[in-house]
Amino acid sequence: MADKQGGDDIPRRKSSFLAKRSSSASALSIIGGLAIWEFCGRFLVKNSLFLATPSQVVEEIIELARTGELGIHVWASAQEFVIGLSIAIVLGIAIGFVMASSRIGEQVFGPWVTALYATPTVAISPLIILWAGIGVWSKAIVVIINSIFPMIINTDAGLRATDKHLIDAARCFGASRLQIFWKVSLPSAIPFVLAGLKLAVGRGLVAVVVAELFGSRAGLGYLLVQAAEVFNMPRLFAAVVILAVTGIVLTALVGRLERFLLPWRFVGQESK
Amino acid sequence: MAKLEIVNVSKSFGSLEVLRDINLRIEDHEFVAIVGPSGCGKTTLLRTIAGIETPDRGTILVDGRAIDKPGADRGFVFQQDSLFPWRTVWQNTIFGLEISGRIDEETKKRTRELLRLVGLAGFENYYPTQLSGGMRQRVNIARALAINPEVLIMDEPFSALDAQTREVMQLELLRIWLQGRKTVLFITHQIDEAVFLADRVVVLGRRPGRIKEIVPIDLPRPREFGIKRDLQFIAYVDRVWSLIENDVHDSVREDAVALN
Repeated sequence: MADKQGGDDIPRRKSSFLAKRSSSASALSIIGGLAIWEFCGRFLVKNSLFLATPSQVVEEIIELARTGELGIHVWASAQEFVIGLSIAIVLGIAIGFVMASSRIGEQVFGPWVTALYATPTVAISPLIILWAGIGVWSKAIVVIINSIFPMIINTDAGLRATDKHLIDAARCFGASRLQIFWKVSLPSAIPFVLAGLKLAVGRGLVAVVVAELFGSRAGLGYLLVQAAEVFNMPRLFAAVVILAVTGIVLTALVGRLERFLLPWRFVGQESK
Repeated sequence: MAKLEIVNVSKSFGSLEVLRDINLRIEDHEFVAIVGPSGCGKTTLLRTIAGIETPDRGTILVDGRAIDKPGADRGFVFQQDSLFPWRTVWQNTIFGLEISGRIDEETKKRTRELLRLVGLAGFENYYPTQLSGGMRQRVNIARALAINPEVLIMDEPFSALDAQTREVMQLELLRIWLQGRKTVLFITHQIDEAVFLADRVVVLGRRPGRIKEIVPIDLPRPREFGIKRDLQFIAYVDRVWSLIENDVHDSVREDAVALN
């Protein structure tokens, strides 16, 4: 049947050729950057108080891992981050949902969200640490107040942006309000929520480190500030590199989640 | 008894009278097309028949029963943006059955047959973004037929398609329709499409939307493309066009004024 229809019925597929080429380009870019960095560290900036080379950084990371220090710091930061981000996600989606679905909800939360979203909330982390101490929870709270806003705003926007035609179509098939929410509004909001999650992850990571700078006993931010105080450049760079890698890994994880939850957005571009 | 009956339906939005005294009886197995210029209240009439808009006066009857809310006795085909992008062809097609909780082995089997009928066997796991406009409209038709409705209501289903695909789909629709001969109400702004498909063409006037005339189309079935060059066909198109010509000019003029 379908093959008789001619041009009208040829399914569209995007090629994965471009994707492969661009991934080898990024690999080259990273290797090139590291090479330039190593070169500068060895031959241009002789003073080891200003710059550590990639090879020194790698050695330092191995050393930190060997003594078990790395594990302690990563674990401390990870706990703060995961607790804070989880609460921000659950609470953020819930508040976003309330704002999108009730007028009163929007009036109650709206002004706070608008006011606080644009405020650089990391700046008040010293205050939070003063209130909540230097343990895990003060950092978790800093993560929450930084990560929750993109979650709220995107959930709210996503639920509101549901295509009216789709809602009408569902209504014509006799869908109830609840069915419209579960089968139309929610799935169409998921791309927005995931975009919010990406922002939340980035903001949360910054929040953990900044909060640790202001007062902590362990964590990657603590490692960073300790190294800076004694001008231990390899260690300082080691902390920075670990954070950068964490950022990349987390972004990739959200990307995986996107592919899992939104398969229809990725059809045709097969994974590498 | 008529399959679908529209009795004295009137509707206003504030001071704007959109529909005035619409009366239309559509018999079982009949294919009726509605044409009219923009502003003739096609959309409002459709939403009223769907049961998501309540008329100020009058009633809509399906098989003699007055309707007041959406139901599985009416199946809808919309323009192509009404497929759910996150659902596969199969999941889109069974949407109506899912809503009314009627998914079982038998309805699944029927749905598979429907997909074969509309020419989409083998495409069950594709997403709408992977399909061409013509294929998406086939899914749309299958989705409406899957609930096995009494009346199939189609709202300008081919208007977003390019001219060639539209012609192919008109022929496809007639082929599908001849299989089950559902009662069809087909809304379009394309006169030749209306004449080609329908047993009767209802011409709506604008401001307020009202029935100007009902033109019976006495052309033999099954119809092929060639019929569009037939003198009788052309005479029907001319007749319908002459009925709405002034209204169309008015609506174009209004659009121009609105732009300035």
